[in-house]
Amino acid sequence: MVQTKLNFIVVDDSKLDCFIAEKIIRNTGISDTIKSFLQAPEALEYIKALPEHQRTIMLVDIQMPLMNGFEFVEAFEKLPKEITDNYTIYIISSSINENDLVRVHTYATVKQFLNKPLTSNNLAVLLA
Amino acid sequence: MDTPKKIKVLYIDDEQNNLNGFKATFRFDYTVLIASNIPQAYAHLEAHSDISVILCDQRMPDKTGVQFFEEMRDTYDEPVRMLITGYTDIESVIDAVNRGHIFRYIKKPWTDSDIRSAIEEANKFFLTNSMLVQKNRELQSAYDELGKFAYSVTHDVRGPLLSILGALDLAKTMENPAELKDILEMMEDAIHKLDEYIKNTHEYYKLKRGQLQFEVIDFNNLVKDIAALFRIAGRMDNIKFISNVVQNDEFLSDEISIKMVLNNLLSNAFNYQRKELADKYVDVGIEVANNVATITVKDNGIGIHESHINNIFTMFYRATSEETGSGLGLYNVKDALAKLSGTIEVASVVNEGTTFKVIIPGKAHGTN
Repeated sequence: MVQTKLNFIVVDDSKLDCFIAEKIIRNTGISDTIKSFLQAPEALEYIKALPEHQRTIMLVDIQMPLMNGFEFVEAFEKLPKEITDNYTIYIISSSINENDLVRVHTYATVKQFLNKPLTSNNLAVLLA
Repeated sequence: MDTPKKIKVLYIDDEQNNLNGFKATFRFDYTVLIASNIPQAYAHLEAHSDISVILCDQRMPDKTGVQFFEEMRDTYDEPVRMLITGYTDIESVIDAVNRGHIFRYIKKPWTDSDIRSAIEEANKFFLTNSMLVQKNRELQSAYDELGKFAYSVTHDVRGPLLSILGALDLAKTMENPAELKDILEMMEDAIHKLDEYIKNTHEYYKLKRGQLQFEVIDFNNLVKDIAALFRIAGRMDNIKFISNVVQNDEFLSDEISIKMVLNNLLSNAFNYQRKELADKYVDVGIEVANNVATITVKDNGIGIHESHINNIFTMFYRATSEETGSGLGLYNVKDALAKLSGTIEVASVVNEGTTFKVIIPGKAHGTN
């Protein structure tokens, strides 16, 4: 199967989690670019400023200071559809709070909830 | 106990003579408010939130006493309601008692001692009730905090653990020693973060549950001790530490609380520095005068943005993703200062620095 390479955006306030995600994504060999953001507003600004949008997978943490993952998704969904259509969001969190899990499914742009930590196995599953 | 406050009583009767007589008889024992009609009664209730007992005549032109009690209790449910009535109204009184509108009734004609004992009883009931309300409020706030804790535990405890787990998994496949070293360092940070959370939680409970213990505070020694700990931990590396303590008088306070306050403010000052800056500094000034300690902790670090400054003392609020923070530190500081009747102010400019100013009144000598 020949696949066009994917872009990745990681939004997580933990440096270590960003690092892990980047490594694991790079190891799959299917990534074109990987951008990590420790603060959600910066990721949003980055997306807004892109001249053109390619197929991108976003891994977004829930609990972050300043702007949490849900707020980020809400702000993201306000962007024009021709932009948002290029992105698939996965919420990845250490949360075991049921409200969080339920809330994940209320967003059209969010594909799935993933438990931390990200491993090469569960990344392979969702890319398959 | 403090000097007992006089019981505040509101008496409503459409006959001015009754009102005058009542006030003349009881004004030395109680704080007596009188009203000759319902609107006047409401005006008193509005103006005096500390009325504990209301006496009301049943037979009044615009409304009966029972009707008045029935409608006022929605808005003013704390005062204890007592009806003054003749025997002919007994049916409506029984009904009112059964429906919980009144605490008891006083039969006309009343004697001074009837009224006095009724007011004393009613006041006891009022005090017990107010205490319950207060306790319930405290319980509710404790529950709310517990809820926040439970939620934060997943993030603040589980988060770093899962990070380490993920890093371990990754490290197994790594061959390059330099890469391995990087990831080990990051794992170390995650463990420190977890440890800090646990220490802050411990502080939180120590503060919440602990009694204040007043002793003589030597600020010079206190600052030296705390600074030594930061120095050993390497937290002061490349940061100039300035301290200036002026204390000529003895100062009584709770050492654990004061240590905690200083520790947290200094820890933040050392943490939230601008990494690229050459002349980083943390400046602590303490002055004790007229039994008031004024503590300022100043840094030229990253600063706090205007839009976050009002929230920094909120539990689990974090204004930055820089560095490790539990969102408990400043909450604990504010909590400790509240117990000491102290205050805290903050002034901050992004990319210039932050100054915290704490004022703590010392415990007066000879009191306990």
